[in-house]
Amino acid sequence: MLDTRYRVEIPGGINLEAQVVGPVPRFFAFAIDLGIRGIIILVLSLLSIPLGSGGMGGGFFLIFLFAIEWLYPVLFEVFSRGQTPGKKMLKISVIKDDLSPVTLGASMVRNLLRTVDFLPLFYLVGLVTMLSNQRFQRLGDLAAGTLVISVPESAKPAAMQEVVPLAPSTSLLRPEQTSIIEFLRRSNQLSEPRQQELASILEGITHEKGDNGVEQLRRIGAWFLGVR
Amino acid sequence: MNLDKLQVNACLRSGWQAVDLGFLMARAWWRQIYLASLLPLLPLTIVLLLVFWQNPLWSLLFIWWLKPFWERLPLYIASRMLFDEEPDTWSRMKSLPLKDVLPWLLWRRFSVQRAFDNPVTVLEELKGKARRERLRILHGRYTDVALGNQLVCFCFELLVAFGLVVMLDFFTPDTLGIRYYDNFDDLTLAGERIYTLAGIAAITLVMPFHTMAGFALYLNRRIELEAWDIEISFRNLANRKQRASSQRAGLVSTIVLAGLVTLTIPATVDAATEHDHESARQLIESVLQGQDFGEERIIRKWRFKGWSEADEEAFPEWIIEFLEWLEQFKGWAEVLSNIAAWVKVLLVLAFAGLLFYLYRRYRGPLSRLGRRQPETTAPEVLFGLDVTPESLPPDVPVKVMALWAEGAYREALSLLYRASLSRLIDKYELAFRASHTEAECAALVRAHGIDSLSEYFWQLTNAWRRLAYGHQLPQSETIKGLCDGWTAELSDESQ
Repeated sequence: MLDTRYRVEIPGGINLEAQVVGPVPRFFAFAIDLGIRGIIILVLSLLSIPLGSGGMGGGFFLIFLFAIEWLYPVLFEVFSRGQTPGKKMLKISVIKDDLSPVTLGASMVRNLLRTVDFLPLFYLVGLVTMLSNQRFQRLGDLAAGTLVISVPESAKPAAMQEVVPLAPSTSLLRPEQTSIIEFLRRSNQLSEPRQQELASILEGITHEKGDNGVEQLRRIGAWFLGVR
Repeated sequence: MNLDKLQVNACLRSGWQAVDLGFLMARAWWRQIYLASLLPLLPLTIVLLLVFWQNPLWSLLFIWWLKPFWERLPLYIASRMLFDEEPDTWSRMKSLPLKDVLPWLLWRRFSVQRAFDNPVTVLEELKGKARRERLRILHGRYTDVALGNQLVCFCFELLVAFGLVVMLDFFTPDTLGIRYYDNFDDLTLAGERIYTLAGIAAITLVMPFHTMAGFALYLNRRIELEAWDIEISFRNLANRKQRASSQRAGLVSTIVLAGLVTLTIPATVDAATEHDHESARQLIESVLQGQDFGEERIIRKWRFKGWSEADEEAFPEWIIEFLEWLEQFKGWAEVLSNIAAWVKVLLVLAFAGLLFYLYRRYRGPLSRLGRRQPETTAPEVLFGLDVTPESLPPDVPVKVMALWAEGAYREALSLLYRASLSRLIDKYELAFRASHTEAECAALVRAHGIDSLSEYFWQLTNAWRRLAYGHQLPQSETIKGLCDGWTAELSDESQ
């Protein structure tokens, strides 16, 4: 089954999950970072004019240029939860492929290999390698064992709904409970007939038809949400 | 449309995640999709190249302009693959490219969300007003993402096209004297041809990803609007219940039968289940030798070739040689012993310094050693929450409500909870230990014997556990109530 989900089982049988991020959001994140770097470099070059273009000024400028080109992504990734400013805006972050935070070494490797991913022109190799594996890892990611994942957004509290809770007549598994809660949470986005259609699937549990079935399901959902 | 056969995981995704899913779809079905796009594209490319033999860039323009045309067959194929169906008859496929094609090739050619809108024309076969209505519902908050997809895929096309030309240049020996790209306004005919071919290749290569990304966005919107994920989950649930009830019917008869058997021959059952030591040991050994336990793995890793186990064991030759070499400096022994004396003094000083440092560093804990330990020291951290009174803000409920209003739900409730724990330790001197769980803490509060307090703390614990481990947010009213309860039960003014 196709999914962008990436799963790691850690000792103790716990599954960690993350959504891998593909080329399109990463392109935007990169473009934003490129713009920020461009502005910094522009400012620095203006500042170094008074120092003279040939000797000291030129030297300092080149050192800064080197530092910004190579350290900008590394420093942000290591010290800012795997997020450069561009990645932060796109709500994505770099993480190791066991879903632990990215280390200095891994970040260095992944960013040094940009030179290879850049070949032959503007990241063609990177794009091709990204599309040739399921986790959208470019060459640098593969070498460093890192991934780019999307940062999960925290949920918002469900709107207060006047539903009288009802205990279900039968035992339900966790994912089933979740789906009934989802039905309650999203029922204002679904059309009436669609709600009835969905509720009719569970007639064996609600023992009701049509509108009553919908109402029953919503009440069971409220019960699972902890309303008593 | 049979949702049971849906080949992608139906769940709510953000727009960007849907685009990523589209890229995965293009990856998974690339054979069929590229075949479907090349089938009409390849012959036409050859014809166009022959027609515009002297002006090849015109053929590139044509191919580019006809893109809405090329995208239809792959999209249709993908929609079949999505539900694991065989593509329909040839006749349906043949009519596909001509549906509502004129607007798509004229004014809609410049639509910035073509990939997203395409399925409505190709798969839902809507036209005119019906199509507009449908799009109005579908677009929702995904217009930005659809635009972004179009933009990025266009960039990818440029990138692939120019990348191919540059790569070709990398691999062409300089001696051939072919220049591809140094002055674009003045291309040679050969240069034009190469650019044309690279451009057509780029369009062909990127198109499936662009189309599938748009399709996935469309799909995502429908999953959202029609709650496909809920339907699939409900169907599984209904099936499970049905299976369970039919199994139960079977099970009842089995139990009755088994009961009869055990009643009649109890002795044999006992003998069969009891193993003597020897056979049990053999059984255990055979299990241990099975695949689950006796796994052997070959691990390959890099190792320095000149290194061997023996080298490591041996006492290094050079140290002996060095010591022998030192022998000749016997005359210096006196000088050395002087130096050694100084070194001794330095070492003693360094050791004294270290002792002094250690004393300063651990003065606190050391002084505590002398005192009689209380029976239980109050923990500073419970389940990862700092419960020292110093870590709390002056007015807890106000701070909690402020955090809650900011949307920092988890921080808000955790503050309230740990503030309560801290107060319980301070004010009621409850003997929490660092090893206690939330429920054990609640039980201790109950044992303390103040009913209103234990009732309140139990509510708070439940709300916290639900949020912390179950990711279920309480209603804002609940939080308000808990804050009021805190003021009543645990603040300085209470009792």
